Amino acid sequence: MGIRDIPVRQAPSPHKSTNPLGRVFDEFLRFCQSRSLFILHYCTGCGAIELPPAMTSRFDMERLGIQPMVSPRQADILLVTGYVSVKTLKRVILTYEQMPAPKYVIGICSCTVNGGMYWQSYATAKKLNDYLPVDLYIAGCMPRPEAVIAGMRDLRRNIERGTANAWRDYFLRYDHYLGNQQRLFGETWQTPVDVIAEAKHYNLLGKETQGEHTARLARHQKPLEALTLNLELREQPTLLK
Amino acid sequence: MHWTHLLLELILMPLMAFFIGMGMVLTLRKIGAKLQRRIGPPFFQPLYDILKLHAKETQSSHGLIHEIGIVMAIGGYVAAETLLPVPGMNGIAQQGGLITLAYMTMIPSLGLALGVGQCANPNGSIGISRALTAMLAYDVPFILVVFGTAYAAQSTNLVEIIAAQQSDGIASWGLVQNPLLALAGLLALQGMLGKQPFEIYVAPAEIATGPMVEMGGKFLGGLFIMQCFQLYTAGVLYTSLFLGGGENWLTFLVKIFAVVSIPMAIAYLFPRFRTEDLVRFFWKWPTFLALLGLAFVLH
Repeated sequence: MGIRDIPVRQAPSPHKSTNPLGRVFDEFLRFCQSRSLFILHYCTGCGAIELPPAMTSRFDMERLGIQPMVSPRQADILLVTGYVSVKTLKRVILTYEQMPAPKYVIGICSCTVNGGMYWQSYATAKKLNDYLPVDLYIAGCMPRPEAVIAGMRDLRRNIERGTANAWRDYFLRYDHYLGNQQRLFGETWQTPVDVIAEAKHYNLLGKETQGEHTARLARHQKPLEALTLNLELREQPTLLK
Repeated sequence: MHWTHLLLELILMPLMAFFIGMGMVLTLRKIGAKLQRRIGPPFFQPLYDILKLHAKETQSSHGLIHEIGIVMAIGGYVAAETLLPVPGMNGIAQQGGLITLAYMTMIPSLGLALGVGQCANPNGSIGISRALTAMLAYDVPFILVVFGTAYAAQSTNLVEIIAAQQSDGIASWGLVQNPLLALAGLLALQGMLGKQPFEIYVAPAEIATGPMVEMGGKFLGGLFIMQCFQLYTAGVLYTSLFLGGGENWLTFLVKIFAVVSIPMAIAYLFPRFRTEDLVRFFWKWPTFLALLGLAFVLH
């Protein structure tokens, strides 16, 4: 049994196009999406060191349309390059939820696959795809820039085919992901992004979007409040006194 | 001129500006890549980027002003394109003139400031305050240059300024007639396009691209479109003022692409100016050069 024969559960696309030209247009847009990938590298571990050579003159990612971005709002790909500790994972999730979809997560290095050399550590999240929908893993300790670029090409092919839909999975099975997050961070874990409301808004509400864990979230959720600006003006020391 | 003809020009001019602007974005990225000994992006990369950003399925808007700000940013440049004469088309350049054009090129920054203001991201606020300070800095030599050129040609009408420069070959170009103004204009151009050493308001590693920090999806797509227009406007304006405009489309395109390539070609030579140094620089050297050029013109 080859790796291609393993059945992969794909979330069905909730959008059904009625326009005959819509299909052509969708394919063209998918082509554009696959040719223009902005990466946000969350450099947690040693894998980050392989990215500069992949971007600069020797391997030049830009010729594939891949370029680094610095803000989650602008990015398409979240690159998690190395082990994620429990503390880091919170930030990774906050970053992920701020990105506009379609968004892709790539786990680089063995540490994101199974904990790697940190598999015994009490403070490290072992499998990234328990907490976030991962599109692609690039295994290795660390993977060479060639492997990183080969992985990017794989992702590009998946986007072009329309099978890189892991981001829908986060909305459709939010309860599952939230449950795993709560197991790690405690019951009171909440993020500023209201994922359920977004799922409702974008018509991505599935059977498993809400469940016992989202009910637990609703119990503990504190409403977000706007930050107030407090200017504490201290008395200026007068020199003339 | 018949009104349908004018309407056609008003639609065609921004549209062409957009496509030429995408070519300029590609040129700049290619130059940057070649300087770093890379291959650089493929030919249609600017188009892929813009289409991809507009095809995002979830968008996070921060409110009405956030969206209007982007519309203002693009709209200001679209209006500016109709005031810039190109070979065969004058649009409303006859009626508008240089002063309206200079005004229109400032609207995008103000629109962006409004939009960024509503995002309430501290990085964005820092970025836009730096960008507006930079605008205050490079606009002083820019306005002096525009005034000097207009005074030399005794007209604020771009069509007449171009016609005067085309009357006697290269000898009548603004570059030859007023070289000091041309030099000051080139320095102002570097600041206007936000290339090194004047790119502190973007500063990706420090303030996460400043004004663009909260812009994702269609908002960033709008800004990418704005960048195309901005490059085109800067290139055509400089060409019209100093390089004799375009006699035909071939020389016109060669000139405007050469103009926008200069800032990028020298950008990597410089480190970055701090905001106060940037203001000090612009109010000292380009302003001094422009004033000297102005003195020659007025004399």
